Amino acid sequence: MRVYLLFLALSVALASVSARAENLASLSKDPKQWVMPARDYASTRFSPLDQINASNVGKLEPAWMFSVGTQHGQEAAPLIIGDTMYVESSYPNKVFALDSTRGDLKWTYIPNTNRAAQGVACCDVVTRGMAYDDGKIFLVTLDNHAVALDAKTGKEQWATKTGEINLGETTTAAPLVVKGKVFVGISGGELGVRGRITALDENTGKIDYVAYSTGPDKDVLIGADFKPFYDFMKGQDLGVSTWPPDAWKIGGGTMWGWFSYDPDLNLIYYGTSNPGPWNSNQRPGDNLWTTALFARDPDTGAAHWAYQFNPHDLWDHDEIQENVLVDLDLNGKTRKVLLHPGRNGFMYVIDRRTGEVISADPYDTVNAYKGVDLKTGRIIPNEELKPDLNRNVRNVCPASPGAKDWQPTAWSPRTHLLYVPHQHLCMNYLTSDVGYIAGTPYVGATVDMFAGPGGYRGEFMAWDPIQRKKVWSIKENMPVWSGALVTAGDVAFYGTMDRWFKAVDAKSGKLLWQFHLGSGTIGQPVTYEGSDGQQYVAILTGVGGWPGAVANAQIDPRVRNAALGFVGATQDLPSYTQGGGELVVFSVPKQEAAAPSAPQRNP
Amino acid sequence: MRAHLVASVVLVLVVVAARAQQTGQPTQPEASPRSETGVPAIAATRGASAPFSASADPILHVPVSGLHPGDVSFAPQIANPLAQDPQAVTRGMQDFIQFNCVGCHAPNAGGGMGPALSEGKFIYGLSPPNVFLSIYQGRPNGMPAWSELLPESTIWELVAYVESIAHPPSATFGETISRTPASPAVEQTPSEFLQTPRPWSFTSRFSNGRQPVGE
Repeated sequence: MRVYLLFLALSVALASVSARAENLASLSKDPKQWVMPARDYASTRFSPLDQINASNVGKLEPAWMFSVGTQHGQEAAPLIIGDTMYVESSYPNKVFALDSTRGDLKWTYIPNTNRAAQGVACCDVVTRGMAYDDGKIFLVTLDNHAVALDAKTGKEQWATKTGEINLGETTTAAPLVVKGKVFVGISGGELGVRGRITALDENTGKIDYVAYSTGPDKDVLIGADFKPFYDFMKGQDLGVSTWPPDAWKIGGGTMWGWFSYDPDLNLIYYGTSNPGPWNSNQRPGDNLWTTALFARDPDTGAAHWAYQFNPHDLWDHDEIQENVLVDLDLNGKTRKVLLHPGRNGFMYVIDRRTGEVISADPYDTVNAYKGVDLKTGRIIPNEELKPDLNRNVRNVCPASPGAKDWQPTAWSPRTHLLYVPHQHLCMNYLTSDVGYIAGTPYVGATVDMFAGPGGYRGEFMAWDPIQRKKVWSIKENMPVWSGALVTAGDVAFYGTMDRWFKAVDAKSGKLLWQFHLGSGTIGQPVTYEGSDGQQYVAILTGVGGWPGAVANAQIDPRVRNAALGFVGATQDLPSYTQGGGELVVFSVPKQEAAAPSAPQRNP
Repeated sequence: MRAHLVASVVLVLVVVAARAQQTGQPTQPEASPRSETGVPAIAATRGASAPFSASADPILHVPVSGLHPGDVSFAPQIANPLAQDPQAVTRGMQDFIQFNCVGCHAPNAGGGMGPALSEGKFIYGLSPPNVFLSIYQGRPNGMPAWSELLPESTIWELVAYVESIAHPPSATFGETISRTPASPAVEQTPSEFLQTPRPWSFTSRFSNGRQPVGE
């Protein structure tokens, strides 16, 4: 008996060692799985699977579906680890584990998320997904809990609170695990939240460190390693001195978007949100480190470089978008770069070792800026559109959500193109004085958005970062608020708010297949291989988010300034769809020759 | 046993009905204790040393539910003490901006982080005391409780403003949403052009996400 126990203990220990040895970076290379929201640390959302390709994608059919039971917007990417799919709903952030081939429900986790959190979530009660490592699923809840679950059983391992709703804080960004640390963001750039990221130990949930976006260098984790490329970001405690006194404490710079990681350079990358309040007249100065990209050592959090896209942001142009890490041949040299589709409307190619901007080109209608000065690194605002206090500035492009918001792009190493889902909107913008009351909105702007030139409101396009131009484009009626997916079958997938899920030829943009979903989608499509050897494509439906709340919540489409002005642009969305969260999984049915199927086992 | 139960129910109903008669009168602002701002104060209607009784304050009888056991419906007629003040609505509009209500409910309360009030649909009731209590106590799905931050007079100003903006043009039981024929057919003049406590008096054709008509 004793010997047996010893053996048992030993084998358990060995099992956990071998599990730990399953390195997340190499796991992400397995084409069958999808182990993090962007599929890989480089954030490519590219799958090497090619069973579904341009020649057969037209035969795609629903294989199974699953309701996540909420009416609000679903922005999360499902994860596929082994034969299990993990799906997280928007608030209350339920997690479901399903057989990835048959759709059988394995377990459900229901967090006790504080319902009051809904009242401090700026733009619907979404979540953007979960993380996985070492046998554990990591989720974040709207009321700021990071939670670890046993991936097999769904049993809670730990739960750590990383924010406070009474300070206006919520958590919506998907976490990312790097070297045993779970990185989580914080949302609330519309509520005067002081932005930061938090690194937690993946085994214990203990907070390892917090790196703020504003305040003194010691809080921002700026030290000897910090070498920004441009002069305007050099100096001491710029996170204090580029603000009016104490304004940095309620100045935003939150992180509700995406982390990327380069294992070779050992740097994580992420961008920060708009400064608060939106009324720029109340915060003279550059407002560092809001709308900025940070490169940090994941072990210590130490900043290595930063780049501020929109010094003294005027229009709520957060820069939390994904940073896609690729190596490009530029002028005969291979350079390690990152692609950052700016909310300000410029497509950035940035040296990811140094923070040097190699190029920045407009990819949508832009009149808010004149361009980016590559010598100084500073964007050039259009002075004619200066939003002086109480001035109704008309027809500003891009509107507050920018040319692209959170919805992530996909990069194909086969076509060397970036597939960009985005919106095409302009706006009227009126600033007014606003006072800070903790836990309430701190905005000071009346916004009214509408379709940009040409009358369309969204676009799905392919961008060549070397030629610095659009290769093809599909104009959409509504903002394209879903993520993108591209595969080795040279098919790109995206969804629309007016309920279409579409597959297009990655080379030409030709529409190959489309399907009318139950609700509009703002989800992230993923693909994987089931235990039956079939390739599947999955996406969450459930319209919502900032542009779609008008169709799932009590918001009046006749009041254009509603939902921070997005209603002006999507007021007719309720005539296309209602909310309704559902996972839909597609496959190309097997050949008829294989039709005599085995009797189905009851689950 | 059964007879006993029936008797109990009848007794309860009688008590409820009696209370209804006692408190079912419009409040007389003159008769109520006043706060510094000249508006009747809730807490002051009960002596600090008196034992607690839920029946003491008329406002505690204000139902938030539309269901009444025994079909005995009762709502005390509590008027907004500022109902006769013609400036209260405009002050309420300014309060709505100053206390950041506008951040959640949006200009003209079209909704966003918080629900629309412009549609005249209120989960917790549209009567003046209903709206007062929703602001005073907060509500569980995200409405903060303002009792410790706002004077009661300010809350009554907000009640007056909400009452003023919550009357959309159509008055059918339900609403039809369609593109052809266009329904809804109108939209409010957006507030970057016009700030008014009566936004439903200024409308133009519904513009389907296109640029607004403007001034």
